[in-house]
Amino acid sequence: MTQVKLISVWFGGVLLIAGAVGILESGAADVFLEATRPDFQKISLGVAGIQNGGGPDWLGGRIEEVLKKDVKRSLVFDLVDLPGLGIKTPDIGNGMGAGSKAVFKQAAEKGVSVLVWGKAGLKEADKEADVNMEGFVYDSGSDEVVGGKRYAGSPSVVRLMAHRFADELVFRYTGEPGIARTKIAYVAEQGTARELFVMDYDGYDARQLTADGFLNLMPQWSPDRRFLVFTAYRNRNTQDIDMIELATGKRWTVISLGGLNITPALSPDGNFLAFASSHEGNSELYRLDTRTKAIQRLTVNPSGDLSPSWSPNGRELVFVSDRGGGPQLFLMGSDGSNVRRLTFEGDYNAAPMWSPRGNWIAYVCRTHKEYKLCVISPDGQKRMQLTTGPGVDDSPSWSPDGRHLVFSSTADGKSHIYMIDADGKDIERLTFQGTHNSAPSWSPAS
Amino acid sequence: MNKALCTCGLVLVMSMALLGMPGCSKKSVQSGGDSQSTQGMAKGGSSDSSKSGVGSFPDTGIQSGDGGLRGLDKNPSEEHVGSGTLMAKVDPSSSAGRQMEEVRAEQAASFAAGLRDVLFDYDSWTISEEGRQALSRDAEWMKSNSSALVKVEGHCDERGTSAYNLVLGEKRAKAARNYLVELGVGANRLSVVSYGKERPSCNEHAESCYQQNRRGHLALKTGK
Repeated sequence: MTQVKLISVWFGGVLLIAGAVGILESGAADVFLEATRPDFQKISLGVAGIQNGGGPDWLGGRIEEVLKKDVKRSLVFDLVDLPGLGIKTPDIGNGMGAGSKAVFKQAAEKGVSVLVWGKAGLKEADKEADVNMEGFVYDSGSDEVVGGKRYAGSPSVVRLMAHRFADELVFRYTGEPGIARTKIAYVAEQGTARELFVMDYDGYDARQLTADGFLNLMPQWSPDRRFLVFTAYRNRNTQDIDMIELATGKRWTVISLGGLNITPALSPDGNFLAFASSHEGNSELYRLDTRTKAIQRLTVNPSGDLSPSWSPNGRELVFVSDRGGGPQLFLMGSDGSNVRRLTFEGDYNAAPMWSPRGNWIAYVCRTHKEYKLCVISPDGQKRMQLTTGPGVDDSPSWSPDGRHLVFSSTADGKSHIYMIDADGKDIERLTFQGTHNSAPSWSPAS
Repeated sequence: MNKALCTCGLVLVMSMALLGMPGCSKKSVQSGGDSQSTQGMAKGGSSDSSKSGVGSFPDTGIQSGDGGLRGLDKNPSEEHVGSGTLMAKVDPSSSAGRQMEEVRAEQAASFAAGLRDVLFDYDSWTISEEGRQALSRDAEWMKSNSSALVKVEGHCDERGTSAYNLVLGEKRAKAARNYLVELGVGANRLSVVSYGKERPSCNEHAESCYQQNRRGHLALKTGK
């Protein structure tokens, strides 16, 4: 108990810092919090069942399953196995009854910091009616039911209810919005075409966004999650940068300069679009001021420059250049100043993505002829290889909390999308359908 | 000389239609796809000249950071859960069918014309002796079919990143284009496009397949 409390206090201190500085706000001070500290202590949390409150048999179980996976993926909580600890989980209603007290006492004795339970059912006897869900939270540190949530919605949103509740739990204990309701945009093959799709962060509910029958590549989110920017081919012959609005499906061209126009990336404040274009000869980096439409050229050299990714404060860009022969990562000010090389290990380092917490840059490193995921600190002092084995890993993209990456890999044969913890642990495959899924991009938190 | 890192190939698409030719260069194949055109290079640093080619841009900044969460409540009131991010239903546009038709027509026309592909080594955009021979025959064909237009497509094998392969595909496409120009084909009859590793002709994870995908393909376009 005491131990748990101490941890909570320490954890709260970290959160205060993170909260005050802001994760995605531009103009914030440089943040170098560790995404996954070696001494990071998760909060032990048990899910004591989501009971069926009158509805189809699967309802409570479905919500419980989604909730447990969300809790586990949050990396904020350590999901404990209550029956494994000998804790029975009867229906404890709203947690006010005598039966609940016994469960709470047991949980506290076994070192479970947070206990979560709930009930789900149809609102009316009518099968078409809305689903109702209640969730409650007991905190053993304060020995009280600290609160709960009540949700209503159509049966098609039961997963979303669980996601929302999970995000409330993360919010309660960290002050951050959580990632359970985030989305992943990606490219899926349809015949010989490649189209844009968006799915939930756990791989469910994939929806198609484009259907023009040719190539739509490398989507990236706008900071407000309402748009994607991506590379498309006009008449199959010219690469343009297009934008699509998710809510309406409205799509238009934003960069059409001739030549190669690829790897668009919006600045964290949405005021600039960095991209690579070869319209003046070879692939160079540019940035568009989205308000004035002025285009500023950022690089000048006879080699290929591409794949810009913004630092969370919007002041710097990491990018790829083959000015030394093979592709390597470079850093520069977002106005093109102060260019310096970041990677020196290996002869192929590409596809960089700056962590939203600022402390790591994920990228694809070639090692033993395989293309794997690596991370490096922006000062170049720390470097880690996250994946090993055969297969081409590509397009790493950070979760908004900086604790996970999504990427594509051919490790299982065809290219599919995977999630991995930022420390290289716990790979989870997210896509199982289709012949090719690639270029995942994780949305900002809502 | 040229140390490209992707395993791209080039596809030359012969086309009957004239395409835009941004940044054409007349440098020899020696300078590879990396050759600089003189245009534009004078402008370094900040050039905010080209407003053309830029579409409208909405405000995409963050509006709120609380994620719509209201916190736990001892007496929670009911929250309605909508379907999350609103997402439009995609309308499988007629362009999908049209694109596929046109691709098929291009392929058939290129095949009928007997145009040859250029194959590339791993990590390279250098045109080999074999590649030169293929391009020489392609150049002869173009000279005797003077109204044909060619699109030079760069293709890559699956190794390497999508993004960098697009750049290398373009280097290879330009290297082949430049060689054709050197052989006397009018630059205004040639355009380049890179497909990176996004349109493989072969899907096995094997060197024989990789070699097929690292190609420059001459394809004849059929109209439009």
